[in-house]
Amino acid sequence: MDFSLLLGIGRFVLATTLLLLLTVPTAFIIIYLELKMIALMQLRIGPNRVGPAGIFQSAIHGFKVLGKEDVTPDQADRPIFTLAPWMVFMAAAMSMLVIPFAPGLVAFDSQISVVYFFAIIGLSVVGLLVAGWASYNKYSLLGGLRSAAQMVSYEIPLTLSIVGVVILTGTLSFTQIIEWQRLHGWAVIWQLVGFPVFYIASTAEINRTPFDLVEADSEIVAGFATEYSGMRFGFFFFAEYVALFIMSGILVTLFFGGWLAPWPFPAQLSGFLGSLYGLFWFMLKTYIFVLISIWARATLPRIRVDQLMGMAWKALLPIALVNLLVTAAVVVIFNL
Amino acid sequence: MSILGSGILKGFGITFRNLFAAKVTRQYPEVRPTIPDRWRGRLDLIYDPFGEHKCEVCFQCAQVCPVEAIDMSGFDSQGNRIRYGMPEIYDERVDPNAYRRAGLAARPMRNPARWDDEVDSAFVRELVAAYQARPEALVAIFGAIQARYGYLPERALRLVSDLMTIHWAQVFGAAGLGGFRLLPSEGHVITVCSCASCRFSGGDALLAALRQDLGINPGESTADGTFSLETSPEVGAGATSPAMRIDTLVYGPLTADEARHLLHQRRETAAARSVAAGAS
Repeated sequence: MDFSLLLGIGRFVLATTLLLLLTVPTAFIIIYLELKMIALMQLRIGPNRVGPAGIFQSAIHGFKVLGKEDVTPDQADRPIFTLAPWMVFMAAAMSMLVIPFAPGLVAFDSQISVVYFFAIIGLSVVGLLVAGWASYNKYSLLGGLRSAAQMVSYEIPLTLSIVGVVILTGTLSFTQIIEWQRLHGWAVIWQLVGFPVFYIASTAEINRTPFDLVEADSEIVAGFATEYSGMRFGFFFFAEYVALFIMSGILVTLFFGGWLAPWPFPAQLSGFLGSLYGLFWFMLKTYIFVLISIWARATLPRIRVDQLMGMAWKALLPIALVNLLVTAAVVVIFNL
Repeated sequence: MSILGSGILKGFGITFRNLFAAKVTRQYPEVRPTIPDRWRGRLDLIYDPFGEHKCEVCFQCAQVCPVEAIDMSGFDSQGNRIRYGMPEIYDERVDPNAYRRAGLAARPMRNPARWDDEVDSAFVRELVAAYQARPEALVAIFGAIQARYGYLPERALRLVSDLMTIHWAQVFGAAGLGGFRLLPSEGHVITVCSCASCRFSGGDALLAALRQDLGINPGESTADGTFSLETSPEVGAGATSPAMRIDTLVYGPLTADEARHLLHQRRETAAARSVAAGAS
């Protein structure tokens, strides 16, 4: 860890700033991809006015949101109402700190980054819940309560499913998990059951279709975001897409080798070039999973609340527990 | 026997195929649909320059309609109740002519001045006699009347209808065909369409060109009273955007040059008429 010793706090400040800045183009790109891909899948053309093939559409949306009036309801709990979008956004942005983008390109290479990540990303539910509460609106409250129920339920299979990877690799550090995968192959091969559980639970965790009950437009207007307007709504919207990127990135890190190429990493690439090479593979794999999520949004209908809960407790949790047991048994018996 | 999740995979397959399938969106107005020759657009009754329906229940349309789609009933100009098929409902309640056809007291005409124009009946009689009341001379007679009055007064047309024993609907219809005016010349009303489609496809440039050409803004008239300019989002020309209406005729799609040309034509006609009036 010579790097961190040399650069110290300066590196930390720089990294956090860069990551915060990174959320903006990331959200813009994903929102554009979503607009365009869903349109194509619905036999429409999609955005095609702003810039070539409409690539600046989502940026224009962002500026539009900046120019909107920011309304606070009369009866709202003002400080909490104001802070809630910030909490949701910061939960997403802070969890980016531990994502290993490439060799040497990780802001906070902790030995317990897995724990840190799932602790921080779980904080967003607090933001959603208080947003729903502070809005003084029944739809908002319903959305907030739904988000609490959903996220707390899915936290459990989500966390249990990665314990399999953690047992297998014997570490809580994302970079060391990737190192393990360099030697033993991608973890998805070892965790054929754990991966789908993680994928479904993470989709529910970030409120993506088909688990978007939290802001089900056709049922509860926009859920917790009903009373939000202007840039505060923009923060929620941003956080949702940043969370999608982060979850895809973590999925890639845990199960698909992170910044590893599908073939052995060329040894002659080191330093800056190696980082670029790793970044390319990380981004490629992450955006493939982002696209799959968008694909799912264009395909799957929203599931019911009882189905949502039943799935978490009756299907995912037992499967995750069995997976955990089998993984642990295999590790002990074969002394991996 | 279906495997769990096979339906979901099938759905994913459909959306994936759609990703590359041909799109159904039409890029209007950049890409215009090819409009068949016999396209009639929205069917509507035509209004005359006085703002009333031109329909006089003459059944000419019903007789030529190949699929017998047109039905109507009412009172003809002789006061006889006539009926071709099912009673017409469309627009009857708002149409002043519908009051007359239904035998009710007529609502006041929107432009009562048209009834007060005295015409020189001896002139009309001589004119009709000169053509021996031949029906094919109708247009020539119109031309002579318009040359004298500058337009076709209603009473002159009524007189022509009586003298030549031609149905009023046919006389009025022929007078509306084009080239004849049914009102004294008060200048042309130019309406530039301001609907989204027209503005998008160059309507703003068209309006700007007309404003420059006429030297007036929408809502104003030129000093000599020849033209007045206005905008409306309801010229409703659809596929012909950007569109412009001069009095009752809709033109489109127009370039600025074409619009200037249309104005130029109107100017020349007005100039010729004023010269003729000065000579007589």
